This record gives sequence, C-alpha cells and structure tokens, in this order.
Amino acid sequence: MDSQFAFVGSNFVVVCADTTSVQQIIVQKSDEDKILQLDKTKLFALSGPKGDVSNFGEFVKCNLNLYRLKNGRSLSTSAAAHWTRNELAKALRSGPYQVNGLFAGYDDQSGPELYFLDYLATMHKVNSSGHGYGGMFSLSLFDKHWVPNMSRAQSLELVKKCVAEIQERLVVAPEKFLIKIVSEKGVEQMTMVTATGEITSGGPSSAMPSSSAAVDVEMKA
Amino acid sequence: MTSLNLDFSVLDRPVRKEADELTSTLENDVLCGINTHDQYFTIPRVEDFSRFQKDVVEHVKPQHGTTTLGFIFEHGIIIAVDSRASQGPYISSQTVKKVIEINPFLLGTMAGGAADCQFWQRNLGIQCRLHELETGKRITVTGASKLLANTLYGYRGRGLSMGTMVAGWDTTGPGLFYVDSDGTRLKGKRFSVGSGSLFAYGVLDQGFRHDLSIKEAAELGRRAIYHATFRDAFSGGTVSVYHVGPDGWTKMSGTDVGELHYEYYPADAVENPERHGGGEGDIFVPKKREHEQNREDGEKKKDSSPEAMET
Amino acid sequence: MEAISQAGAAVGMKTRSGVTIAAERRILSKLLESSEKEKTYYINEHIAVAVAGISSDANILVNYARVVAQRHLFTYGEPIPVEQLVQAVCDQKQGYTQFGGLRPYGVSFLIGGWDKEFGFQLYQSDPAGNYTAWKATAIGNNAQSAHALLKSEYVETLKCEEGRELILKILRKSMDKTQLMPENIEMLEINKDLYSQNVIIRMLTRDEIHAACSKINL
Repeated sequence: MDSQFAFVGSNFVVVCADTTSVQQIIVQKSDEDKILQLDKTKLFALSGPKGDVSNFGEFVKCNLNLYRLKNGRSLSTSAAAHWTRNELAKALRSGPYQVNGLFAGYDDQSGPELYFLDYLATMHKVNSSGHGYGGMFSLSLFDKHWVPNMSRAQSLELVKKCVAEIQERLVVAPEKFLIKIVSEKGVEQMTMVTATGEITSGGPSSAMPSSSAAVDVEMKA
Repeated sequence: MTSLNLDFSVLDRPVRKEADELTSTLENDVLCGINTHDQYFTIPRVEDFSRFQKDVVEHVKPQHGTTTLGFIFEHGIIIAVDSRASQGPYISSQTVKKVIEINPFLLGTMAGGAADCQFWQRNLGIQCRLHELETGKRITVTGASKLLANTLYGYRGRGLSMGTMVAGWDTTGPGLFYVDSDGTRLKGKRFSVGSGSLFAYGVLDQGFRHDLSIKEAAELGRRAIYHATFRDAFSGGTVSVYHVGPDGWTKMSGTDVGELHYEYYPADAVENPERHGGGEGDIFVPKKREHEQNREDGEKKKDSSPEAMET
Repeated sequence: MEAISQAGAAVGMKTRSGVTIAAERRILSKLLESSEKEKTYYINEHIAVAVAGISSDANILVNYARVVAQRHLFTYGEPIPVEQLVQAVCDQKQGYTQFGGLRPYGVSFLIGGWDKEFGFQLYQSDPAGNYTAWKATAIGNNAQSAHALLKSEYVETLKCEEGRELILKILRKSMDKTQLMPENIEMLEINKDLYSQNVIIRMLTRDEIHAACSKINL
C-alpha cells in the first residue's frame, strides 16, 4: 500500500512518498521513485497499480512537454492539473486508470499550489493532502499543525511528525520516504529513513534513468 | 498416364462410436438441434460449460510453480532458474528451459504461463533485432524491457500471466529489470520471481555481496534455487545458472537438484562461513561420500597407468 | 486575397490602456436593413475580432474560434492565451491552402485580446494562415495607405480616447470619404476595468460612435 502526502509551504510545496515496491507480501524494491518530475517546477506523486502509474505518469509528462514545444510556454500548475483531471475523467469511462495522485507545482503567477486527484477524476485545490493508509495518518496531523506560510524547517519538522506517526501506527511501515520540495528554483530531493527520522539530501540510489535524464534536457531547453 | 496410388486415409476424420453417441445425446440434451455435424470433440457434460472451460484453462495453465532469480554484482549478472513445469497438482515436465535466450546479450526468465513467456519473449527478440537493423546499434536493456512492458501493458486484463526478468549487458553496463503481465516494470539489482521466490530470497539476500567473484556468485544463485526447490513443491528438476558479462551471456551450469541435495545436506551451522553459499570464504566444495571417493580413486588409478590399458 | 482588398477596412491599435479596433461596414444597397454587427465579434471574455473578407467564411471561423476558446477553458480550467487562439484559427485556414479540391477561407482577421502572460495583444491574419503581431495595423480596403498613416501618426503612449480618434481618422482616409458615416462603423475596445482590474470588451454604442465621428468630421 502506497503512502504519500504533501502540503504547501511559504514559497514551496513539499511532496513525500514511500519508496517501496511491493508485490503481495514481497518487497521487490526499496528505492523506487514514486514522485514524477513533470517539468522544472511540477511534481506528480502517483499511487495505484504499477502499470497504470508508470503509463499515466509518462503520458502526462509527455503531453505537458508537447504543449510546451507547441506553444512556447509551459502550462501553469492549475492548467496542467485541470488537464490531468480531464484525462482521468476520459479514462474513467473507457478502461480506467486506477491512479490517485498529488499534483504539486510552482509558478510565478500563482506561487506554490497543490491539487488532490483521485482515480474517479475528483480534483481539489488543497493546502495539504495524502493518499493511502499512510496518507490518512498524516491528514489529522496536517489539520492540527498546518499553518499558512510555513518555513522550510517547520515543514521538515511536520514531515518528521507524519513519518513518525506512520512508523508508530501503520502495520507495515515503509522503510524509507522520499521527500521532494518544489519551489521557484526547481526541485530538491531528500531521503528520510522511517525508523530514525534521519534526513539526507539526494534521491533514491537507482531512480529510473528515463526520469532524471529527461528532466535535465528539459531544464536546459 | 499412370495414376498414383496415394493413400489419403490419414486425412479422414477419425470416427469413434462413443463420440458419435455422445454427440447425439448432446444434441438432444444440450444443443437442442444446433448443427453439430462438424463437432468431433466431445463436449464435457457439465451445466455451465463456459465456466467449466475457464476453470480448466486456469487449472491446466502450466508453470504456476517456478523459482527464478537474478542479481547484479561486481562482475555482471547471475541468472538462475529451476526447470519444473506443473499443471495443477501434476509435474508435467522436469526439463523446461526457463531462461529464454533472446539474443547473445539478452536473457529473459520465465515464470507464470509458459506459452505466454515463450511467445512474448520471442516477440521481444524480434523487436530487438529490428531495432538493431534500423539503428545499427544493439538495444539497451532499458529499452528492451520497456518494449516488453509496453506490450504486456497493452494486453492487461486479457489473461496473460507472466513474471519475467530481462537481463543483459549494454553500453551502460549490466541491466536487470522485472517485468510482469500487470505492466509493472522495475529496475533493480536483485529479484526473485515465482512460487519459490520467498525461499530463494532468504538464501540470496543473506549470501549476497557486491564483490562476489563470478564463481561465488554462480554458487549463490545455484544454492538459492536449490533451497527453493527443496521447500517449494512446484519447483524442481535442474538448476540452470547463467552469467551475463560484457561479452554477452554464458551458461555456467545445469545441475540436477537431487545431486545438489547431497552436496548441501545436512545443513551446517550459521557460524561456518563456508556453507553460506558465496559467503566470505571460498566456495563450498562438498566432501565426497565414501563410495564416490573410492570410485574416483579407482578411475584415477586407471588413468595414471597407461600400461595397464594397453594390455 | 482580392476579396479582402475590396472588403470594408478594419483598423486596430494598442493604446496605453488596451486595444481598440474599428471596422467599416459596406452598405451595398440603401434598401438593406442596417444590422448592428457584422464586422466585429466576441470570441470570449477577453478576445474579440474584426473581419475583412467573405462574411459567410468569417462566420464559420469565428464559430470555430469560439469553440477552440471554450475547449481550452474546459480542459485547462483557464482562458486560452491569445496567440494560441490565433494559431488555432490560422492552422485551420492553412489546411485549406494545402489540400486540393477545397477553397481557402477568404477572410483576414484583426484579433485583439488579453492574457495573463503577455497582457494586451493585437494580431492580424490572412487567408493563407499567416499571422503577425502588431502595435497598430489595418486590413481590407486601402490597407496600404492606412499603414502609411499609422506609421506617421501612431505612438504607443496614445490614450484610449486619442486612439479612438486616430482610428476613425484612418478609417475615413481608407474609405475615401470626406465625411465618416457613423452608421457604417463598428468599434470595440478591450480595456481593464479601473476598479476590479477585470478585462472588459466593449462594443461602442451607436451614440458613442456618433459622438466620436462628429469630432473627426468637424
């Protein structure tokens, strides 16, 4: 079961997801990157059947890229999230993608934004949200601790609280969490060990080569 | 012109009395006048045929029990598999080739439906060859596994059953991917797939080190599969071990699990590193049992006395 | 192309506060009932166009543009950027120049609009599907002389009212008439509301046009 949550800070959005890939009872992988970077300032955390997740994720990413090439400008976070919701709505009536997602982004016009999406094509603009059992534990903590314009330090403290709660109460707590922070400058990655709450900078050791390479090209363009 | 007297009787439809009788009762009981003239398979007399058919297909689909594994280490990749095929509770074959040699640099493993794996990995082989012809370059493991994953994702929900690993060597070095019929595709360093995978993981994870020698690594793979065949009724036969290096793959061994059993049995205490299968020490060389020792000694004596042979 | 150089002129310019577009309606017979709008159209809340050429073709393209604008709003939840709309319409026009058996749309557009990225913009398009962005431009009858006049008289700091006057002056010139006929003129202004900062497109009323024309006709 995937655990992911995200919230909006002062001038950034924090997105957090576990890094385990499970089949039945077997942990197949513990360094999986489930937070897709769509362009320089957009993140999309997805959960659901792995086939759907990678297929839909790449579909969204490629289409945003295509839009940028066609029109010489990137979509705003809001527009990209609306488009994504629309695609989920289309898919719902024709062999649905069973994916839930958290769509985060930063743009100059409207600052940091976060959108909640589910496979039924629901979309909400939110300040904080989560998916999966792990996400549910975090929701109440957001209700208690989330305030507007949180600093970076405050935000990481809140992430720690959520992860600690998941570690304490979720029957099979994931080993590690990947944290991505998207701001004006781009995306920053950190990894957190669930058991100790220790945060180190950098992503999972073997991210899919396609994701990181493509983003580099995009940023240069 | 002389007419050739060819015997065309082999083309005649087999006539079986019981079948005809059955068909006629079927006509009366079930098919109610539907033309069964061309029907020479007898249909089982069950209430819900389509459901029965589904059940049977599920039941008969071979290869549900399997153990395969693959891991990347310093000197390349080791792939190890068993060779048993089962149909329901029966062992249908003990000599199945579960490593599919896609091309000299790519291997695929087989778990789930045997036909599905064979067909789609053969298909992958075609796509990879076409890629070579079009671009003049060998396809990367990343690319090959993505081709397979895309194919399988396109068929999701249509009853395919596959759990495979695609392993190979390309310009970026060794590559190992897990691909299954749900459309999952994972890049990784260590995978085990099949009903015996839990048992194999136990041995594999404990014995794995990145700096294993090729010999040690092959022994670890072999041992992990052996232990899986010991505990998993649906895995068995022989253990095949492949190594993938910069020059492509080589088959390292194919050993009957019965023989392995006497090599590895009885179990050794945890403190003894020699027995961990690719542990810290040298690889385990089993002590020969008495009669084997005697036999070998006898053979050696023969070899070393050419005079005796001449006489 | 020929049809367009014969068609009633349309002149547009960016002013200090927005975009102003005016167009001349040809009255072919005095028996004709005068219609209020046949040269200028709203596309959505922040884009409007003036046309020169075959009216029936224009109607099709205007309708198409409206659909494109709404479809964008539906899929992206935000209004379409002006250039993207222009491009969509021009792609449609281009298609008819490429394939045999069909006749191109005989229409040129002046497209004025606003979007959050580039603010107020003015574009001109031709039947071949080319488009260009302008500070001030003209299409239709006597567009050349209108351009010449714009070159000498236009400045970017023009106020809205000054723009209105300049446009009418140019229109009078290109109509080859000494007096402007207010009943033959359509005019629209795209501005920001001073208080709400919302973009507003306003078609000028007949009285307003009369008032403006009478200033010029003095």
